[in-house]
Amino acid sequence: MTRETKGERPVHEKPRDLFDAFVAGRVGRRELLRRTAALGLGATAATTLLNAAQTRALAADYNWKAHQGTALKLLLNKHPYADAMIADIETFKNLTGMSVTWDIFPEDVYFDKVTAALSSRSSEYDAFMTGAYQTWQYGPAGWLVDLNEYIKGKSAPNYDWDGVLEGLRASTAWSGKPGDALGGPGAKQWCVPWGFELNNISYNQRIFEKVGVHVPKNLPDMLEVAAKITKDAGGPYGIGVRGSRSWATIHPGFLSGYTNYGGRDFEMQGGKLKAAMNSPQSKEFTKLWVKMIQDSGPKNWATYTWYQVGTDLGAGASGMIYDADILGYFMNGGDNKERGHLAYAAFAANPKESTPTANVWIWSLAMSNFSTKKDAAWDFIQWATGTDHDLFGARKMDFVKPVRTKVWEDPEFKQKIGSYPGYLQQYTETAPKAKIYFTPQPLFFNLTTDWAAALQRMVAKEVPVDEGLDKLAENINRQLKGAGLG
Amino acid sequence: MAHTDAHSSRLGRLLRGIALTAVVVFFLFPIVWIVMMSFQTNEQILRIPPRLVFEPTLINYKALISGKLVTAAGSLDLPFMRNLGNSVLLSAVSVLVSLVLGVPAAYAFARFRFRLGENIAFTLLSFRFAPPLLVLLPLSLYFQDLGLANTYTGLIWVYQLICLPLILWIVRGYFEDASPDVEHAYRVDGHSWWRAFTRIAIPLAGPGIAAAGLLAFIFAWNNFVFALILASADKQPVTVGALAFVTASGIQYGQIAAAIVLSILPTLALALYAQRWLVEGLSLGAVKG
Repeated sequence: MTRETKGERPVHEKPRDLFDAFVAGRVGRRELLRRTAALGLGATAATTLLNAAQTRALAADYNWKAHQGTALKLLLNKHPYADAMIADIETFKNLTGMSVTWDIFPEDVYFDKVTAALSSRSSEYDAFMTGAYQTWQYGPAGWLVDLNEYIKGKSAPNYDWDGVLEGLRASTAWSGKPGDALGGPGAKQWCVPWGFELNNISYNQRIFEKVGVHVPKNLPDMLEVAAKITKDAGGPYGIGVRGSRSWATIHPGFLSGYTNYGGRDFEMQGGKLKAAMNSPQSKEFTKLWVKMIQDSGPKNWATYTWYQVGTDLGAGASGMIYDADILGYFMNGGDNKERGHLAYAAFAANPKESTPTANVWIWSLAMSNFSTKKDAAWDFIQWATGTDHDLFGARKMDFVKPVRTKVWEDPEFKQKIGSYPGYLQQYTETAPKAKIYFTPQPLFFNLTTDWAAALQRMVAKEVPVDEGLDKLAENINRQLKGAGLG
Repeated sequence: MAHTDAHSSRLGRLLRGIALTAVVVFFLFPIVWIVMMSFQTNEQILRIPPRLVFEPTLINYKALISGKLVTAAGSLDLPFMRNLGNSVLLSAVSVLVSLVLGVPAAYAFARFRFRLGENIAFTLLSFRFAPPLLVLLPLSLYFQDLGLANTYTGLIWVYQLICLPLILWIVRGYFEDASPDVEHAYRVDGHSWWRAFTRIAIPLAGPGIAAAGLLAFIFAWNNFVFALILASADKQPVTVGALAFVTASGIQYGQIAAAIVLSILPTLALALYAQRWLVEGLSLGAVKG
């Protein structure tokens, strides 16, 4: 009598059942590992079976094969989030029967490539990575697809759009009318959040212990701690923040702290934008910020971008940074000298506030309006931003800032980031109020660059802070008027 | 007296030696530093303060040549050798095409007066004035319609904007400097116009052609924006490829340095090979009466 006639499944189906049960949540991770070992499966075979099980689970309630045979092409930025997606791309191919190719470009030139492809109405790329700020230019120009209809009408039942952090869903949606709130009425979903960055403190525990300082609680405290590190640490300077003449100087720590002090970039007056960079709150915050850089910032602060801020922290040249948490995360590994010495903390700059107001950068996926395979492209976007792939990236790769709450609750992910002291906690404390705090308007890149230039002049003591901010507001109001926005 | 002369000449030689060393150190220091960086790991490079003595490693070159960088953070694919190959292909073929088209054209502009001749020559030169970004967007639209977008042929065509005007104008000057009497005498002997061009005119302008070709090669090699906008990642030259070492999780200084060393090698080899003609080419104008 054969096994089959006794009602038993063939031997090769046993592992398959096991992985199906795991994906359905009937079997835990430890149990899966124990039974995988009992079945004598190697790690590679187990991963293949797990991918196959995930594919079957996803396919159960949605026709993922609707675009079988379609060839998609993506435009990607060289980033750990893109690497995580590429590592899992076979799952998508198996699930849908589509083929996927991609062009990957370094970040320095990435947005030039995107802008050129979209403005020349190229149909080459179906979907691409973008930041939310860029969609303020791309969306109103008619280069992007409003993804609302896809999210609401063409998603797999388990897509779980509401599982994405609320602030991030709102931050990637805009009506296109300058000054309208992000995610407000009539907002178009220009892109889908994928992985993001919070701006908080990453600090070097070794240097903090050596100097005998605590993690700063607010901005005045940060000034003192940074000054003490600069004075006593024997080489390293106190605090790393960006300073190049670019929008990227304004959006991380600076805007997060600025918002905490009650500062706004613009006010709406009679339907027109008016610069608010010279408000009393802004002046109070900016004076402290400028003094902090003058006393304890890097020597070449005015050239500092993401790379220099991160490199200095990783090489032990700075005591702490007030920048993207994932930048601090990456510096704690690899071949960095200070790997294993870094820790993380949430930061509310205003002594009167207890909750941080972190401005965020959101790597998102958008669909080109010139794509000839939009429905197929949506299938890719909803797979890549779906829970299953995000869990894969978070557990196995450096997808370290997922946008889905469910992924943050995953025990395996929690265990993985547990060795990065404070990383999970700063996320938990900051996530509720994490969103984009800029007012969306089409001159975003020009005006924030002018803002950074004004900061440079203040730090170089070419102009006092009060006068510098008044001049900045005047200059920005003139530009807004010229563009018909102010 | 003779003793004083010998003494002062020794002193002069010494001072000249010191001055030359200072100049060489000043100009070559960045290159020497890059070469040294290319034999160090990121951790060694970022040491504070930097050290002159270190334990050299070939890890950066190995990573570039094998196309795979294995670090504690994971494995990274590096398409650098492909980028290098693209640069060689695009620059070499573009210069060859420009030479084939530009040298006869330069000869025509130098020897013959014809209607609108100067206007045509100036129009070709004006291609060098236009900022590349101005022409790139319309070009990419046309390229998509013509099926030239994302092809080597399309890129080589666009590279003519860099190479052709340069070769045409430099070589034209050399043809104008060479006396036409020699060619006339040769033709009086019964040789054809074509033979006079290939046997007399081209050899006379040879150093100039070599200099212009090399210069065009360097300009084409250093181009960044044409391939970036008009082609996919697999057709990018080293200038774009080298940026791949600037990643969100850190800058790979060692690999950037090794990439620079590898990417200047082809141009350096070509320059050394063509040096003899270059010196002749450059000094030809100097003795012009």
